[in-house]
Amino acid sequence: MVSSSAFNRHGDGSFIAIFADTEREVLTNLAEQLIEILSERIDAVHTDPLAAMVNMTGHDSPPEDVVLARLLPNAYADPVDSAEFRRFTEAELRSKKRAHALLLRSNLLNLENSTVRLHKESALAWLGAINDIRLALGVRLNVQEQSHEQLELLSPDDPMRGVYAVYTWLGWLQESLVQALMDDVDDPEDVAEGTQEDEGAKVEDDGWEIETL
Amino acid sequence: MVKVEEKADELTLPSFLIERPWVTIVWDDPVNLMSYVTYVFITVFNYSKEKANELMLKVHNEGRAVVSSGSREEMERDVQRLHEFGLWATLSHDGEK
Repeated sequence: MVSSSAFNRHGDGSFIAIFADTEREVLTNLAEQLIEILSERIDAVHTDPLAAMVNMTGHDSPPEDVVLARLLPNAYADPVDSAEFRRFTEAELRSKKRAHALLLRSNLLNLENSTVRLHKESALAWLGAINDIRLALGVRLNVQEQSHEQLELLSPDDPMRGVYAVYTWLGWLQESLVQALMDDVDDPEDVAEGTQEDEGAKVEDDGWEIETL
Repeated sequence: MVKVEEKADELTLPSFLIERPWVTIVWDDPVNLMSYVTYVFITVFNYSKEKANELMLKVHNEGRAVVSSGSREEMERDVQRLHEFGLWATLSHDGEK
């Protein structure tokens, strides 16, 4: 029986974690749910070709679903400015989040020896996807600033107890990936040098793109 | 004839001469990990570990922090990137909301 391990950074710059079958299944399932709720918010059919070209979403109000509203928040306190911004940007935000979750799912479905091996850009996508899943679970669990003590005390037959266990596990997994990625960030000079070398560099992979550090 | 000095005393300088920047604000959130928020600031803004950590602690302790400033277009781009990472961010011209 394979036991899971947190993420570790290897000498070749890749990030490696081991997933037990049950954990792999749980995370795959959650990624699929995330993909589903993001896909449920369908854009209005573009009759205006110019609107379609600039990727206008058609949506100008925040999602009614509380989980989606947390994943796609308002950018302004002012509702008019917020609506305008959303019309032009929400579709892109949704497609990036969806791409992160799709990559995570695809990696989990293609494990070799229960091991996931990520390069830097994939690791950033994983980080985003795990965080989105935690945000969604946090909304469902109604996580507040001081609510962890109460959540720890959920009774064994409360279905939320299992959800909270998954939420806690994902926090641990995410923390390990953040710490492994932090090893790359040594001091300000290194960061600045890296930026100059990679200026404008973008990695594109199945529709998601992320600027390298 | 009015002395220039007297007139200047009466004047309240209008703010149209001073271009106030737009700012990006990150709000406290009970779910996002502290280390993650620090790492996002490093990744999005190229801030040093120290500066990113300071800003994260300001968000955590004060409920919010201004994390970048500039033109409206630049701040919209910053907010969009922070939303990609799941941080709760808004942009504002007066820095208060």
